[in-house]
Amino acid sequence: MKTAVVVCPGRGTYNKTELGYISKFFPNAPLLESFEAVRRKANQTTLGELDGAERFSIASHTRGDNASALIYAATIGDFSSIDRERIEIVAVTGNSMGWYSALACAGALTPEDGFGVANTMGALMQESLIGGQLVYPFVDDDWRPQPDRRAALLALVDSIGARADHDLHLSIDLGGMLVLAGNQAGLAAFDQAVEPLQQRFPMRLANHAAFHTPLMAPVAAKGRARLPATLFNQPELPLVDGRGAIWWPIGADAEALWSYTLDAQVTQTYDFTLAITVAAREFAPDLFIITGPGATLGGAVAQSLILAGWRGMRSKEDFRAQQESRPLLASMGMPEQRNGVVVH
Amino acid sequence: MDRASIVHDNFLRRVSAGDLPDGELPSGPLSSEAAVSIFRSSCLSRSLDRKSRDMQAAGQGFYTIGSSGHEGMAAVAAALRPTDMAFLHYRDAAFQIERAAQVPGQSILWDMLLSFACSAEDPISGGRHKVLGSKQLNIPPQTSTIASHLPKAVGAAYSLGLARRHSPEHKVLANDAIIMCSFGDASANHSTAQGAFNTAQWTAYQSAPLPLLFVCEDNGIGISTKTPKGWIAATFSNRAELKYFAADGLDMYDAYRVAREAADYVRLRRKPAFLHLRTIRLYGHAGADIPTTYMKREEVEAEEANDPLLHSVRLLSDAGILTPAEALSIYEETFARVERVAIEAVKRPRLKTASDVMSSIIPPPRVCARSNGPTPQARSLAFGGDLRAMEQPQIMSRLINWALTDLMLAHDEIVLMGEDVGRKGGVYGVTQKLSARFGAARVIDTILDEQSILGLGVGLAHNGFVPIPEIQFLAYLHNAEDQLRGEAATLPFFSNGQFTNPMVVRVAGLGYQKGFGGHFHNDNSVAVLRDIPGLIVACPSNGADAAMMLRECARLAREEQRLVVFLEPIALYPMRDLHETGDSGWMMHYPDPSERIPFGKVGVHGDGDDLAIVTFGNGAYLSRQAQKRLAGSGIKARVVDIRWLSPIPADALLEAISGCRNILVVDETRRTGGIAEALMALFAERTKTSTARLTAEDSFIATGPAYAATMPSADDIVRMAANLFTGVS
Repeated sequence: MKTAVVVCPGRGTYNKTELGYISKFFPNAPLLESFEAVRRKANQTTLGELDGAERFSIASHTRGDNASALIYAATIGDFSSIDRERIEIVAVTGNSMGWYSALACAGALTPEDGFGVANTMGALMQESLIGGQLVYPFVDDDWRPQPDRRAALLALVDSIGARADHDLHLSIDLGGMLVLAGNQAGLAAFDQAVEPLQQRFPMRLANHAAFHTPLMAPVAAKGRARLPATLFNQPELPLVDGRGAIWWPIGADAEALWSYTLDAQVTQTYDFTLAITVAAREFAPDLFIITGPGATLGGAVAQSLILAGWRGMRSKEDFRAQQESRPLLASMGMPEQRNGVVVH
Repeated sequence: MDRASIVHDNFLRRVSAGDLPDGELPSGPLSSEAAVSIFRSSCLSRSLDRKSRDMQAAGQGFYTIGSSGHEGMAAVAAALRPTDMAFLHYRDAAFQIERAAQVPGQSILWDMLLSFACSAEDPISGGRHKVLGSKQLNIPPQTSTIASHLPKAVGAAYSLGLARRHSPEHKVLANDAIIMCSFGDASANHSTAQGAFNTAQWTAYQSAPLPLLFVCEDNGIGISTKTPKGWIAATFSNRAELKYFAADGLDMYDAYRVAREAADYVRLRRKPAFLHLRTIRLYGHAGADIPTTYMKREEVEAEEANDPLLHSVRLLSDAGILTPAEALSIYEETFARVERVAIEAVKRPRLKTASDVMSSIIPPPRVCARSNGPTPQARSLAFGGDLRAMEQPQIMSRLINWALTDLMLAHDEIVLMGEDVGRKGGVYGVTQKLSARFGAARVIDTILDEQSILGLGVGLAHNGFVPIPEIQFLAYLHNAEDQLRGEAATLPFFSNGQFTNPMVVRVAGLGYQKGFGGHFHNDNSVAVLRDIPGLIVACPSNGADAAMMLRECARLAREEQRLVVFLEPIALYPMRDLHETGDSGWMMHYPDPSERIPFGKVGVHGDGDDLAIVTFGNGAYLSRQAQKRLAGSGIKARVVDIRWLSPIPADALLEAISGCRNILVVDETRRTGGIAEALMALFAERTKTSTARLTAEDSFIATGPAYAATMPSADDIVRMAANLFTGVS
């Protein structure tokens, strides 16, 4: 029996190559139908239509109200495909909106209620679409920790954020990358101030709002108004949140979980790096299983583990060596790795 | 089978069989979520105790004093806030674990295992020692000390009221925080503990705020010596101004309820309280201790039958929160988790070299707000007529007084404390007028107890103040020196520089008071201060140096977070003349407040190259007299005042004696363990210059006409110096 921490991905993980993912992998048709019923009732495009579209459309597939639902559904499908006879799941965590998925995986929300939360919050984000997000790395290609560089970038973020009419915050601590969020002036000032890297960074994220910043306070308030605390239950598995706090089965305060999920989680920095660090250090799993869709979160998980010095890793090369000798990561979005963890 | 395994097996067997010990039904304000959290913390604490023993057996761990039987402290943690600074007993793993559950982002299991393993990545001590402690959890590091942490807990509690009036720049504690301090029933009898209780009571009796919760974890035994039955309740239940609460630490509901009441009392009333928590001790004192060698097996087994974890399973079951099977599952999952994490933790790197170990003896500097100093108006208001007096040379005690005044004007966070420093202005008048200038809150007349004075300083420093405690006479330091040696000096070391207690301890001392006081007012031994790693000892010989060195000492404390002892030679406080009556040769002008003598800079008087007289304090004064007389005999001497007694400013001294054909060390401290030993070793190791020493005898100081008979005199210096040239020894 292997132990595993499951990591649920956030926005930006359902892309062109993920078209058809849900129809291919979702193992529970009645559950999927219950999601579709919610979508239809809200006059939203169904997951079947989106997932089955011939072409991926940034305008359509990355909208908050669509992307959140697609990602949540794909995650839940993957989670329920994990072979629990061979794999003992010792904790669940997630990145950003992956927190909603993690809540459902851990049993703090039913799969249906989890869908309601993810779908509602995605829709609210899309309705307001306050500000935006960008990504910028602070590690080089070898992923070695560079704390000075990180500190300098965060100091820059603070200085830009302090300017009149500029809003800029650390949105997500994402392994070797900083996800920043703010208003257009803040984001543009950062674009101007830093060196372009790898012809991609700083990378603006289409259809993303200023998630995990105080700018989201109105969205959080609407979320609390629409989604009652009664939806939340005691988790059945330990959950590690975006502050690195652990919510234990039975001992968790469901109302506090609701409050965190629809307040601090939405309006304060999401520290994914710390969540992974705590998951490693407090649960020491054999494996980190990253559910689909996509496989892009694997890099951030690996970088987080390197930053934590987990298993003595200090670089990308160390991680590769680790993966070869005693695999630490399994991305369900990658067929070969998926095969190692699902029911056959 | 060892007792730890027996207790473990008992738990598994009895919970599986539903064979749980009798007790009260659960009642009180503990929520079901908090109850489960406390149980989880208790299971983790228990599991870590067992793991620490396995690790030691495998050569991977180095500490086995456990918390088993004291898991009720998790309920005390739940009743407090993470912002309440906690000075912990070494059996309080459960407290720290439960507190970690209140602060997001903690990895307490990993951290505790790293500390067992003495890994360099241990987040509190950096692998130097197994301590309980955490910067983020407001738990200063504590290890196997017996009650020596109580005086500083009193000081930290006192700082809370003071910080409301004078908020220091580096303030640490929230205004509504309280201080918690725990210890065992055996430690409660220690004189240090008794002094702390008394000081807390004495303070509260005068209605000064002292929000301090003492927690006595009464397991009924100290290693092998039993506490008389009922002793703790008998001696603590009726003390003035120390409200007594009693709780059963085997019952998390009772422990939480009473701890909450006690904490509320302390927080609301700002008064001290004593929480008497019944605990048991499982597995004996530490790994190597076998309790059945001094206790009957039946007694040991009777204690084990009352395992608090078994009581918790019963209570959680009775409350309908967890079935015994669910509780057992949490226990077993926790053990499995500890096993998994330990496999990784024991692989983490450890300290290797002396420099690795020593890198946190000296704390890191901190950034302090820049100040232009007090305005002329503020100085004028504070000094009054003394400003005019500054135009004339003055005696040392006055110049120290003025330096203190300027320092306190410039830095609000400086607070003085000591016996008679306030209203009286010090027994030698050094602190005269300071109380009037700065108020009784910043010039504190303390209780007559040196441990409490130093504890007050250490505790205030924990909350960002820069204390300047005074020890009235050097001989009185000795009963309290552990507050410097075992507590203040070790704090950066055990916390990897994260916790600091910078301060300047003023000590009036050394000999030569004409016919006054005898030994206890003229003690000339500083050996007890010189071997404390990281501690700076400064000793001026004249008023101008004293002012400039005191400013440097305050800077070292304030900016570099250093622990400094400023040793003031009492006999030189009033000294006016140097060579003859009326020459005013030892009176000095007050140096401009901007002037300091940098740490490690020595004083050199004269440039003679026949002889370097290396000395300090009274010796510098006497050597200056001798220097003049030697010149009359054709011996050209220079007097080198080392000023800094610890660490010895070696390079500066070698430069100062450079070119001299002879060295005479003049040391007013004892021949054995005195400063001269270090100086002789330095010159022997690093020069080829002929060196001799003149020291005090290995004696106590006499009263009456022979007051100086055992110490160097100017005549002795002249004679010894002359002998160096004639070859007579």
